[in-house]
Amino acid sequence: MLFSSITFLYYFLPCVLILYFLSPKVLKNTVLLIASLAFYACGEPKYVILMAVSILCGYICGLLIEKFQGKIGAKIALGASAVISLGFLAYFKYADFFIENFNAATGLSIPMLQLALPIGISFYTFQILSYTIDVYRKDVAAQRNIISLAAYVSLFPQLIAGPIVRYSDVAQQLSVRTHSISGAALGIRRFILGLSKKIFIANALGELCAEFHATEDNSVLFCWLYGIAYSLQIYFDFSGYSDMAIGLGKLFGFDFMENFNYPYISKSVTEFWRRWHISLGSWFRDYVYIPLGGNRGSKLKWLRNILIVWLLTGFWHGAAWNFIVWGLFFAVFLVAEKLFLLKYLQKSKVLSHIYVLLLAIVSFVIFGAADMGQAWQELLGMAGLRGLPLVSAEALYYLRSYALILILACVGATPLPKKLAALAQEKAGLVMTIAEPVGLAVFFLTATSYLVNGSFNPFLYFRF
Amino acid sequence: MNEKIKNGIVFGTMTALLAGLSLWCWFGKDPEFSESERRVLAKFPELSFETIVSGKFMTEFETYAMDQFPLRDSFRTLQSAAKLGAFAQLDNNGLYTKDGYLAKMEYPMQEAMLENAANKFQFLYDTYMKEQGSQVYFSIIPDKHYFLGEGRLAMDYDKLVASMREKTEYMQYIDIFPCLELEDYYRTDTHWRQERIGDVADTLANAMGAELSGDYTQNTLDHPFYGVYYGQLALPVKPDTLYYMTSDTLNSCVVTSYNTGLPVEKPLYNMEAATGRDPYEMFLCGSDALVTIENPNAETDKELIVFRDSFGSSLIPLLAEGYAKITVVDIRYVQSAMLGNLVEFKGQDVLFLYSTLVLNNSMGLR
Repeated sequence: MLFSSITFLYYFLPCVLILYFLSPKVLKNTVLLIASLAFYACGEPKYVILMAVSILCGYICGLLIEKFQGKIGAKIALGASAVISLGFLAYFKYADFFIENFNAATGLSIPMLQLALPIGISFYTFQILSYTIDVYRKDVAAQRNIISLAAYVSLFPQLIAGPIVRYSDVAQQLSVRTHSISGAALGIRRFILGLSKKIFIANALGELCAEFHATEDNSVLFCWLYGIAYSLQIYFDFSGYSDMAIGLGKLFGFDFMENFNYPYISKSVTEFWRRWHISLGSWFRDYVYIPLGGNRGSKLKWLRNILIVWLLTGFWHGAAWNFIVWGLFFAVFLVAEKLFLLKYLQKSKVLSHIYVLLLAIVSFVIFGAADMGQAWQELLGMAGLRGLPLVSAEALYYLRSYALILILACVGATPLPKKLAALAQEKAGLVMTIAEPVGLAVFFLTATSYLVNGSFNPFLYFRF
Repeated sequence: MNEKIKNGIVFGTMTALLAGLSLWCWFGKDPEFSESERRVLAKFPELSFETIVSGKFMTEFETYAMDQFPLRDSFRTLQSAAKLGAFAQLDNNGLYTKDGYLAKMEYPMQEAMLENAANKFQFLYDTYMKEQGSQVYFSIIPDKHYFLGEGRLAMDYDKLVASMREKTEYMQYIDIFPCLELEDYYRTDTHWRQERIGDVADTLANAMGAELSGDYTQNTLDHPFYGVYYGQLALPVKPDTLYYMTSDTLNSCVVTSYNTGLPVEKPLYNMEAATGRDPYEMFLCGSDALVTIENPNAETDKELIVFRDSFGSSLIPLLAEGYAKITVVDIRYVQSAMLGNLVEFKGQDVLFLYSTLVLNNSMGLR
């Protein structure tokens, strides 16, 4: 079930809100857990059991880690947690990738497993791992109430598309959280912002990308139009989902971490990754990069750590070579920036912005391709090395048809709208008191109209 | 203070909106049919352990929830207006509005579809006409996008015609493009207007050696005509007025439909259909597979067989005067290979009359 669906907005969410706010404090986590399992079951009925087993393992391992704190038993329990969680992930997400490549390398024909990827497995696996590792590190106490832990792992607002919420960030809120009209209003605002980003910008640009993939009238211009549109689509889709998750969290009294912070205004790849998918970046930093030694030690070791982290970051996004190349592509530029590039980038704001945007576009063309062959063809097309004409009738038509959406997306990817809203609030507070609720209602109803009409509404994270 | 009031208003407005629409979704009456979309709406899906576990229930429930959403038509209007108006997009799933007309982009030209259509025509010619010495004619009707497509994606219509002519050299091509202009089409529908295509009928008849007087009375249908694009685009535009032509000759014609295999006499203009879901269906038995028009007052014994799509429904009555009998065949609803059992081919003149819409999407030809 997508947040951007009639089923979620007008059936699931109202039912959950009614049950949640009618239930006594002591049952609120139980309601959230049941709702989250039902939410997951709507998309993946059979994989609810897999998630339940993962949660149970995390729960038991957490208790064992705490019980054997400082002893070898804690290490074994942590190891067991990692092996079980990552084992499930490897089996369900990566097994076919390894079999396929093994077959290709050896000439064997081991049959593929052809398993459907459990939605959200990468997200909840990382959440369980963060919990057991934090317990091991004594950063948090083990959760004795399995319902609270299960509610944390399966919490539907962030279950299928993040952000990756750390247990340490919400441990307190799982026991005690406050609900207020102001908090709910903030949540509603954020949710509608995310829904609008998803439906009006991301889905529209998704249609443009689909037109590109279907065209028989390709051109260099169309390749660039696709690269730009897809880079904006994935940003607005992903950050839109994060906004909706954060907004829903606020409705239920949770404060989730921010996941995006205008990445396209970055002046270096280093900065870009501080602003893009922040919860994943910080997860890899805290649970992989720093434990590996980070930038301490020799340059060679640091280089190794960077490559491992970015290989894993790429691989986390999907079991395909293009995701690995995508991760390593960033690794190369991060290393280059650390070694020498950053000082040059700091000399020109304009050039550094262009540099980041170009790299982001190229990276997302790799990311969005079905395989490396397709990615290569699209990049060659952008470079004008595929013998394509410079412009085509389709490219010009879609450029005209999507011009306003592209402009809105470019402006919306900067802090300008937020600044303008703050200015309007400051200068015309009274007007905004009425204008904002009206605006939100209009956005919500218009978003509903797109859903009612069955408009293009893809889910981009089925490979995560 | 303002912030607190604003938060209160946001909370109150959105809660009321969500609660109101949700309750309407849950307890509102489910209509069975959408008049504007001309289709049956999804019903509440079967709820069982099997359908839940297989995921069938949720898949069908998603469709049900969209289909049965309260004020569905108003929301569809809002979506179209937002996309074409607020976001300034040039089309909504290929549909667009220009100069007061609703139209659909027919794009791109699908050579494989043209090939398929040509192969069907060749089969019919080889099987039923070649040996009988029939005079075979072919004419292509441009869709509305031909006249409105400037500034949008449009196929090369000249190329389409050239391609089809090349593939059907055994037929004599009759060019009716010069007879047509935008005003000859309904504003809200795909089709052309019968009262405006007399010159098309004349051009075809002249080329086929038939004579028409063109003496008709224009009748107005006392029922608004909301065409197929009106329903698809859901924008608030005025309905068309549907006119139909009558004459003493047409009134005396005997129309027989063989849709069920058995002959059933039907009116030339079905006034029941005229007030139904698609008023254009009033012309010549709508989408019946096989129809004959016999003209007892004909001054000739010439017969004509027309292979046609829905554009033919409104045009063919205008040809009736020039023939003793016209046999109308729609091979979207009858197998070409079976036709020998239903129609006696004895050297009659034959006209293949197809719109660019059907030629470019010819998978439905059987």
